[in-house]
Amino acid sequence: MEHWPWWAGGLGLAAVALGHWLLARRMLSVSGRITAIVDRLRHGPPEEPDMSREEMLAALREMTAEEYGQDAVEAAPEPPAAKTPARSRASIGGHFVFLGGLAVGGVVSAALAGALEPVAGLRSDVFESLFGGGLVGPLVLVAGGVLVGFGTRMATGCTSGHGLCGASRLQPGSLVATCAFFGTGVVVSLLLGVLA
Amino acid sequence: MRETAVTGLVGVGFGFALSRIGFTSWDEVHRMFTFADLRMLLAFATAVAVLAVSWRVVSATTGATWPPRRIHQGTLAGGALFGAGWALSGACPSIALVQLGEGQLGAGWTLVGIVAGNWLYSVVHERWLRWSTGSCLDE
Repeated sequence: MEHWPWWAGGLGLAAVALGHWLLARRMLSVSGRITAIVDRLRHGPPEEPDMSREEMLAALREMTAEEYGQDAVEAAPEPPAAKTPARSRASIGGHFVFLGGLAVGGVVSAALAGALEPVAGLRSDVFESLFGGGLVGPLVLVAGGVLVGFGTRMATGCTSGHGLCGASRLQPGSLVATCAFFGTGVVVSLLLGVLA
Repeated sequence: MRETAVTGLVGVGFGFALSRIGFTSWDEVHRMFTFADLRMLLAFATAVAVLAVSWRVVSATTGATWPPRRIHQGTLAGGALFGAGWALSGACPSIALVQLGEGQLGAGWTLVGIVAGNWLYSVVHERWLRWSTGSCLDE
């Protein structure tokens, strides 16, 4: 497959991250979406509140009146407007749609390049020569995946949330995480390069 | 419905771009991390620079603000583990899905590992670590 030149790649990634916020009003965060799905699988849907907002406000007014008198209830400011529930808890459908979209993007790219023929492993000369054949390749991929899943959740972000969106806002956590994952990425790749 | 369709389309665009840049190729990622080819590093740096300007423009015109991303106990160690996994598997979380779409079926193993690792950390965090990540969003 012909790869884009560096400037086109940079503009493409920036357009996606910016477009994601402008259209969906949330920062690009792939590991965050995986975390939301895993949490839903672990804990099930969020519990319905025991009482409605109106019932809750009425009960609070009653208790305020008992404790401080009716004057205090009337002097109290209006309660703030109801907040919409956090989207990450409300629905995980959007997360599946986004992650499914990533795979579709891969299908479209491969189809346009005329390279849809599936392969059992990865389309890689170095990986196949290092680990290919038998069980070693899949084992390395699972182990690498576990490190990716564990590490991105531990650091609360991955290449998209920390590397693209957080680092460009000069957020300290994102700068540290980005330096850390690029740092070990370089070290491990140099070691693999010696083995290859 | 419209929101879901837009979310899906952004996902497709992201997947397509990652594929065309070369992030779905284990060999390209390896060349990036060993500095044998600076093209993808430059692409990433360009994206960060363009975004840095874009957020300022967006913030100035719409007044938008975004949650801070603070350093917490897991930032350095988590990032380090992630980088090692990325170099081994050739995938960050989005990449495994794009690779699967491209027909690189081995990425299915990576995806199983990513979900298992995310799950494993949530258990480890609840049982032993329990520190605050400084955000109610925890993304």
